Amino acid sequence: MKRVLTALAFVMLAGAPASAQQQPGADVADDLPAGVAEEQITVSSTYGGSFITVFGVNPDRRGRGDIVVVLRGPNEPATVLQKRRVFGLWVNDDPVRFSEAPAFFAVLSNRPLRDIASPESIWRYQLDPAASARLASAIPAGGDPSAYRAALVRLRREQGLYQWYARGPQGGVRGGLTAYQGGLFRAVVRLPANAPIAQYHADTYLFRDGRLISRQRIPIMISRVGVERTIHDLATNMSWLYGIVTVLLALLAGWGASVLFRRP
Amino acid sequence: MIYLPIAEMPVAVLLILLVSGAVGFVSGMVGVGGGFIMTPALIFMGVPAPVAVATGASQIAATSFSGIMTQTRRKSVDWRMGLLLSIGGVVGSACGVALFERLLRLGQLDLIVSVLYLILLSGVGFLMVRESYHFWRGKPAKSVSILRRPLKTIVHNLPFRLRFPRSGLYISVLPPLGIGFAIGALSAIMGIGGGFILIPAMIYLLRMPTNVVIGTSQFQVLVIASLIVVLQSIATQTVDLVLAGLLMVGGVVGAQIGARVGAGLKAEYVRGILGALLMAASLKFLFDLVVPPEEAYVLGAGMW
Repeated sequence: MKRVLTALAFVMLAGAPASAQQQPGADVADDLPAGVAEEQITVSSTYGGSFITVFGVNPDRRGRGDIVVVLRGPNEPATVLQKRRVFGLWVNDDPVRFSEAPAFFAVLSNRPLRDIASPESIWRYQLDPAASARLASAIPAGGDPSAYRAALVRLRREQGLYQWYARGPQGGVRGGLTAYQGGLFRAVVRLPANAPIAQYHADTYLFRDGRLISRQRIPIMISRVGVERTIHDLATNMSWLYGIVTVLLALLAGWGASVLFRRP
Repeated sequence: MIYLPIAEMPVAVLLILLVSGAVGFVSGMVGVGGGFIMTPALIFMGVPAPVAVATGASQIAATSFSGIMTQTRRKSVDWRMGLLLSIGGVVGSACGVALFERLLRLGQLDLIVSVLYLILLSGVGFLMVRESYHFWRGKPAKSVSILRRPLKTIVHNLPFRLRFPRSGLYISVLPPLGIGFAIGALSAIMGIGGGFILIPAMIYLLRMPTNVVIGTSQFQVLVIASLIVVLQSIATQTVDLVLAGLLMVGGVVGAQIGARVGAGLKAEYVRGILGALLMAASLKFLFDLVVPPEEAYVLGAGMW
């Protein structure tokens, strides 16, 4: 917490760093003072998920408006298939491809999002994962595009990859957005272990009367370290060597067992 | 808990060791590879099917190598036959890996794997239970009695004949090549060693003597499983080294203990129990295929 406050003080003194990437709505100021407690998250062999804390301060002197925090994973292609009955068996049919959809998406606010931003703003600033999912293939005859979009969101939500928080941390739930006195806010997101290892972005928005006033974008790097990194790099960059190493390991294990257990 | 670098999920180390040890125990006791139990077990535990299939092959390589060490000492490996089976198997598994990759892209891999498991588990389970039942009734199964009769089948009339001194056979090279191809393709798609199909095929189709069947099949399984690990590493990058290491340790230790325990039991009864287990497991696959799903949509292989 001390680290968070020190960093927060730094953010407030130095003002907001420049935004890393342009987003829709270039007319909006990128000056929301905010920071991330964990700008670097490392995945080692004991990794079981982590928490990301985004903090900042509402620049409005009178504390008007609502803060919305979105944690976005990389946009990646995705496929949704519908189950269909063929000769009495349920088979996966009709693949519908999305050229990109967020691999992780969490949106935090301290009251329901639809009371903060208009439906147009939610779509325009992509405050909903469905808004970022781009369809890349034709929908099969009789199919409904929004049903596939909704299915993608529902399935990812069940995997813990899409999350919604409309209040502060409560009970056993550690994630959520809390607003403090003087315009301070703190948002905590639980990043599950199955979330992809990549570059993430924490986006902070200030809405007033349904309109976006100010925002801030902060990159967060999630990367493998140690053995995890060595194994993954070997598997991707020198896959043939990786395969041979695995086979040699198998032969060693087989030989070891046969020697250890040899009957006297 | 340990985080798997390729599967990108944490698993409980003890659980994986226990499961692979149990599978190894059963396989050592009954004398089958165990891949056809291990791969579905991993899938049930939440490991993505492509990772389970590709990684399972490395455990099969470990177990079969351990078996070959024992069989070579007893001089019960027909190297010439094993080599022919392996040549067919190499071509078969290359085709299998290509098909695996294609199915993965189409999002149909899970379905095909489920259907093949349903057929194989119920089929092999039924044969085992029947054999055990006949033994219990005191009359050996019909096929066993004709086992060593010098009967001429189609196998003995094909061209390109070759002598196999250790098996005492003079047959065409085509059937071993064909059988090797089929086993290789199945291995790549299903993550199995194929011993439980290969052994009956060698006995009933090629009429090889039973004492060289196990060692020779293990030789072919080792070659194919090793090749599949390398091919899958290159083609789909779904081999998880950490998971593979855990499976190998659990599998080989379990297999050695299982072989000891199995030596003191009536093999036919053990097979009957295993057959019943396999048929029960196949019911689970059948259930998933015919019962209307709660969720009408599934996520495809965007990640893999």
